[in-house]
Amino acid sequence: MASFTLVAPSSVDAAIAELRTGAPGEVAVLAGGTDLLFALDGAKASPRRVVSLRRLPWRTLDWNGPSLTVGSTLPLRSLEQDPDLASRHPALLEAIRAVGSVPLRHRATLGGNLGRAAPSSDLIPVLLALDAEVDLVGPTGARTVPVDQFVLGSYRTALASGELIRSVRFPEPRPSAYLWQRVRPANDISQVAVAAAYSPSDGRWRLAVGGIPPRALRLPEAEACLRSSSPTEAEVRNAAERATGRPGIVTDRRASEEYRRYLVGTLLDRAVRSAVPSANGGR
Amino acid sequence: MTARSLALTVNGRVRSLEDVPGSERLLDTIRWRLGLKGTKEGCRSGQCGACTVLVDGTSTLSCLTLSHEVEGSSLTTIEGMADDPVGRVVQDAFARAGALQCGYCTPGFVVALVGLLRERGQSARAEELLADLAGNLCRCTGYLSIARAVALLRAEGP
Repeated sequence: MASFTLVAPSSVDAAIAELRTGAPGEVAVLAGGTDLLFALDGAKASPRRVVSLRRLPWRTLDWNGPSLTVGSTLPLRSLEQDPDLASRHPALLEAIRAVGSVPLRHRATLGGNLGRAAPSSDLIPVLLALDAEVDLVGPTGARTVPVDQFVLGSYRTALASGELIRSVRFPEPRPSAYLWQRVRPANDISQVAVAAAYSPSDGRWRLAVGGIPPRALRLPEAEACLRSSSPTEAEVRNAAERATGRPGIVTDRRASEEYRRYLVGTLLDRAVRSAVPSANGGR
Repeated sequence: MTARSLALTVNGRVRSLEDVPGSERLLDTIRWRLGLKGTKEGCRSGQCGACTVLVDGTSTLSCLTLSHEVEGSSLTTIEGMADDPVGRVVQDAFARAGALQCGYCTPGFVVALVGLLRERGQSARAEELLADLAGNLCRCTGYLSIARAVALLRAEGP
């Protein structure tokens, strides 16, 4: 593995300044580092300088009324162990538990997973279904970007030069579910994953599919089939059929297109049924 | 290349290391700089759990951690388990259950399990502990005896 210089600035301004000391690709951001070090070994990244965020005050978790704000460098394991997460954001808990293993989640972070924007991310489909908002800070100040406008493609995000993810905000608790299919339960990548969430405030469902390159996507045609908090059998079946037939489901070394189409329909059907509010304890 | 000093508490002893490169991984610091060869290198990419150590009491993959990122922390490796009450009980359960074949994965399993017991205490059920050990691989596929060790622990404490 190539060597690099590691710096750990102690203020946000200093971190932003560090990001601008080299061309893109020469400077890398390290949150938990689990994916970055993996990429360094595979020679998928070869930065000269690595900027660690460990001294920034972003290892936070705040419930504020209905909204949850997660600091970008909070270890996923800490979020997983929050006593209110299971009841308020069940899909997010399931997605976190699908990331790597317990020792990996003691270091891996939500900000790091989102900033890497791997097509295989288990968290991004749930962020889409929960309408998460991404708070950024950069040389020209702070801004907030909805997650569907933040993740642009495979390993591509809306982060501008010198920008960092400060936190991710979830606007309201939603009955939700996240289901995946993969070869091994731990330390593996989903062939297909589906997130389903029902918004009590606007009465609509959000459905998102992940595990298929280049990026996780919302499924608006399937969402439109679901007309209430407790959709009928026919509505769920229609939604699954719409999702199964959508374009962009591809073959790669993890799964064939045909198998993925089967998985999208099956997982979507099951995810919606298990997210239905009454099935979730009447929330 | 910035090379800097690094202070760590390793199995209860304060250690000051000099000239540790920023790109050095905790696994390499432990094995080659500290000479503690009980921590094993398996995949070096976070997929097998053989290199698991405790950083301030929580299980951590030393292959995916830069040494300077845990500066000032308290590190416990498999060599420190004999001085740890939970570590002793876990090692004893592994011994009585015969929970090893070639033994290469064993330090990672023991350390990961000690981390889980510290984190979850008495409340964790055996099946939950096993599910949370899913990131540790045994290439001998000796999982049944490892599951027996976990069952012994649950039956008798800690």
